[in-house]
Amino acid sequence: MSGENSKVAVVGLGKMGLVHASVLNVLPGVTVIAVCEKSRLIRRFARKMFKGVEVVDDVEKLEKLGINAVYVTTPIPSHFSVVKAIYEQRIASNVFVEKTLAQNYDQSQQLSETARRLGGVNMVGYLRRFYVTFNKARELMLEDELGRITSFRAFAYSSDFLGTKNGSKTTASRGGVLRDLGCHAVDLALWLFGDIQMVSGQPTQADGHSENWVKFKVEGSALEGEFDVSWCMEDYRLPEVGFSIVGSRGRLEVNDDQVRLVSKAGRSSVWYRHDLNDSVPFLLGLPEYYREDLHFAECVSNGSKADPDFSAASKVDKIINDVEKAGGKD
Amino acid sequence: MSKRLVGKINQNTKALLVGDNPFHNISHLSQERTRFRDKTVTVPELAADLILTAVDNGANGFMFSVSETTLAILRVLREKGRIDQLCLYAIVPYAYEYVRMSTQVGGIPGLTKKIVGRIVATGNLKALATGFLGFLLTDPERLLKTYLIYEINRIRAAAGKRIDLESVMLHEVITDLALALNLDSIFKAHIDYMSELGITPGFNTCNFVYLIDRFREWNIDLGQVVVASPFNKVGFQMTTSQENNEAALRRLPKPIVIAISVLAAGYLKPVEALEYISTLPNLKGLAIGVSNKSHAIETFKLVEQKLVN
Repeated sequence: MSGENSKVAVVGLGKMGLVHASVLNVLPGVTVIAVCEKSRLIRRFARKMFKGVEVVDDVEKLEKLGINAVYVTTPIPSHFSVVKAIYEQRIASNVFVEKTLAQNYDQSQQLSETARRLGGVNMVGYLRRFYVTFNKARELMLEDELGRITSFRAFAYSSDFLGTKNGSKTTASRGGVLRDLGCHAVDLALWLFGDIQMVSGQPTQADGHSENWVKFKVEGSALEGEFDVSWCMEDYRLPEVGFSIVGSRGRLEVNDDQVRLVSKAGRSSVWYRHDLNDSVPFLLGLPEYYREDLHFAECVSNGSKADPDFSAASKVDKIINDVEKAGGKD
Repeated sequence: MSKRLVGKINQNTKALLVGDNPFHNISHLSQERTRFRDKTVTVPELAADLILTAVDNGANGFMFSVSETTLAILRVLREKGRIDQLCLYAIVPYAYEYVRMSTQVGGIPGLTKKIVGRIVATGNLKALATGFLGFLLTDPERLLKTYLIYEINRIRAAAGKRIDLESVMLHEVITDLALALNLDSIFKAHIDYMSELGITPGFNTCNFVYLIDRFREWNIDLGQVVVASPFNKVGFQMTTSQENNEAALRRLPKPIVIAISVLAAGYLKPVEALEYISTLPNLKGLAIGVSNKSHAIETFKLVEQKLVN
């Protein structure tokens, strides 16, 4: 996509749609040629904001526009039908979907299978894989700085719904805290530690619509882990994900901002974003958006596999589904 | 009180501004730090005292995102009768508040309703008329103007009508989004409306080089705007590179830049940070957050020593 001028469509002009459309617009060799949005008011503004861009109200109207890739940034419950339509109508074979891939594991599997059958590049927007801190942590683990990993504790916290009414339509439409926020921690765990399975879990504040706090345990190959997820935490002005990882040679703490490695002998090293070459050619919101979109664009351009693809992302949906089932939510 | 002329920043005076990040309990180095540090600095009375301490040691202005917290600080400064000692550089919108609100109310449509509700509640007829037309014509420039009227009224209601509102700056989220989408009309509308009001139009950006290049391409007179952008010794948040930012600074027709992130979010010590800043050309000034009294005294004494003397 980077080498030649590639034509992209963005479906869903919410926060994430606007961010991706803007970043794509500054990527070399990429042109946003169409946007699709259901809201008539937003469509009217989109016509003013996106110069020379086709603005449509239905995914099917993207057909025959010669689109190379589609970004799906609609609410999670609609991902399945939108992505399915993109593949079935042959609108584009390269598809990027904001996290999570779908609303449940069954849908994720179907999308993953369709993508595999039809080919093209597919990717899910697990942004934290592009954070310099988590990349540094992974690098340290691959360099065996921690030795054999025995356990980890993961958290994903925000104050987004602190003090708001339980069970609002909004929290439900976001799919609950585990799907909305916890999915990042689950994806990172799969990326850092390989396959893991849920062993026990439950929402601790079920309210009929969504859960505000979820804790669960997992196990992998000779490894056990715990997750703690909440969007009602005090003092988490911005959402934050982090891990505390214990290995035979030491301990590693990593979150969105920093990495701390403590050896068994007590030697400690800290890296902040400042130390980890966090610069990008265009900064909108977070540098990770640029790196993420660039990765997808480059994969489309060379026909290589994007990371995480639908198959990897469906493993996140599997764990979320298992936790939801354990909590009595199907 | 500052020995220098305060509240009046001209071509020969550097804007030495107190930044507001600590008052919002923000740390771009590490969110974890904010959870363990003393939060008394977020109390408006104490924050106002810190600003005044900084003023007594060389600061001459306050750069702030317009939020309930900073408006409360302005109220305290007004009550103390010292608001006229400060040049005010306001950044709108306070992006965090709106992003959080949009998360809670279900995205952009819910957020729009909420903002419209707030503007209606102010009963400001000028804002309402402009906003109504903006919606009717789906005109982003008119809506921007409505929003600016609303925010400026909030500032004046808190700080008083006779304040020295030096600049109203568009927050980086708006500036950088408009840059990415080539929305020159948004920049021009902001410049036109601010110029009408006798306020310097400002832009807060994380893409300084890109902005300068685009402004030249769009024939926007760089001499009439002020730009707040990260400048620091380690190149933190300086896209595309520190060298490119420095080169773009050198090519400016006059000092229009307020350096922010000078301490790289607390990663640098003030001495080394200010030594670097003092080497840069075409800086109109800088903004630095202070989180306690000794920090306010030491930092602004040092600022005066490195940048003014």
